[in-house]
Amino acid sequence: MNRADAMIHEDALLWMVRTRDPEFVDWEGFTAWLEVDPAHGTAYDALMAQDAELAGIIPADPVPMLAPANDAGHPAERRWRSMRWIGGGAVAAALVAAVSLSVMNRSDIYTVTTAPGEIRTIALDDGTKIDVNGGTTLRLDRKNLRFAALDSGEAAFTVRHDEAHPFRVTVGDDLFEDAGTVFNIVRSDASTRIGVSEGKVIYNPRAEAIALPAGRALTEDATGVKVMNIAPEAVASWRNGRLVYANAPIGEVGEDIARSIGVRLSTTPGAAAMRFTGTIALDRDPARFFAGAAPLMGLTAVRQGDGWLLKEGDGPQS
Amino acid sequence: MDMATGLSAIFLQNRPVLLRFLRARGAGEDAEDMLQDMWMKLEAKDLGPVADPLPYLYRMANNLMLDRYRSSIRREKREHDWAGGAGGVMADASENIAIDERMILTQRLEEARAVLRELGPRVELVFRRFRIEGVGQRLIAQELGVSLTTVEKDLQKAYRAMIALKQRLDTE
Repeated sequence: MNRADAMIHEDALLWMVRTRDPEFVDWEGFTAWLEVDPAHGTAYDALMAQDAELAGIIPADPVPMLAPANDAGHPAERRWRSMRWIGGGAVAAALVAAVSLSVMNRSDIYTVTTAPGEIRTIALDDGTKIDVNGGTTLRLDRKNLRFAALDSGEAAFTVRHDEAHPFRVTVGDDLFEDAGTVFNIVRSDASTRIGVSEGKVIYNPRAEAIALPAGRALTEDATGVKVMNIAPEAVASWRNGRLVYANAPIGEVGEDIARSIGVRLSTTPGAAAMRFTGTIALDRDPARFFAGAAPLMGLTAVRQGDGWLLKEGDGPQS
Repeated sequence: MDMATGLSAIFLQNRPVLLRFLRARGAGEDAEDMLQDMWMKLEAKDLGPVADPLPYLYRMANNLMLDRYRSSIRREKREHDWAGGAGGVMADASENIAIDERMILTQRLEEARAVLRELGPRVELVFRRFRIEGVGQRLIAQELGVSLTTVEKDLQKAYRAMIALKQRLDTE
């Protein structure tokens, strides 16, 4: 790029930043700049096209919410540090009485979405870590770090416990409240499942108030709420590339597989009604995965269009 | 007078400046046709109340030009691929390729993360608020207690770095 081109590039960059602002109004100024040289418009177009492609490489980490600085005289760096601190504790404390899970300022809520097969880890400022499995939608609140809403899919929460400010996860109408905890929640259309591997979680603390210590799991579906045992190492085992089950309906297993390896998967009614106990190793190659996993479950997997079908076993393994 | 009529009236009043804008943007002989398209869209849609009608119309025209540029790039790429013999034969859609692509993607995300981190926390935050979350510059400036110019400069810095990274990744 020669000097003149470099200057045009810089100007175009500035106009891109300006025109991308939702409140931009200086279209006449922009017109005047464009009229100077046809190369201006070309440079602008090229940058805007590159901007559109940036989406693919921008890491979507959550950003801690900053409070407005009260004292404009402070150096920026110091302001930043103090706001980090506010994000960690004071805001949560200030809001604890006022927070209502249903009435929130929309601009503070952000959504984390993963595609099937995609795994993402989110580190919140308070030390809490959330591992998000594929095919999941999770909402977080910049103003209240001790809150998450699992709208669909699966996530494992490693919560930094704070007696005064429990971490809360809402799943539909249900509320899970941590008491020092590592836990995994799955939400599908039909059911909500939670498994606790460390500490304790309270299910709907203001209604049923069921305490789930480590090694306990809870399932809620159309038939009601069931509490059962779960091996702590089986909780969120997808993070280690395994799915671990004890007497689980194949329907649930199928949903977990679809989310974890990123395939469209359906099950025949006969297969869905069966149950499975054991460990399945995840593999991102669906053909290889099903070749191993389907016989393990006593089932057969066949390719169907752009997805897979799990059906009752036939052939040698049945 | 309902809002749609209002917007149409403003369109008619400002037709000359919009035409001038489209020409400056490089629409050439198509500028008149594009205005006609805009007019049809405005008439067809009940847009409801628009707070700032003229900037809204400018933005609409700008978006038309961006779409036009994108489709011309796509067409060029198709023709290029065709001429290069890449078209016509489908590559084997083996899953191993998908895994490689995922690894490349993960690596790119890491590089982008590093680039943003190097810009410093404020620039990174401003860029994320603006580019990912779509928050306006005025609001970002208020949140951070800095001037609008500072936000603009931060965004230029971040975009410069990110676009340089993108260009490097594309030529690798």
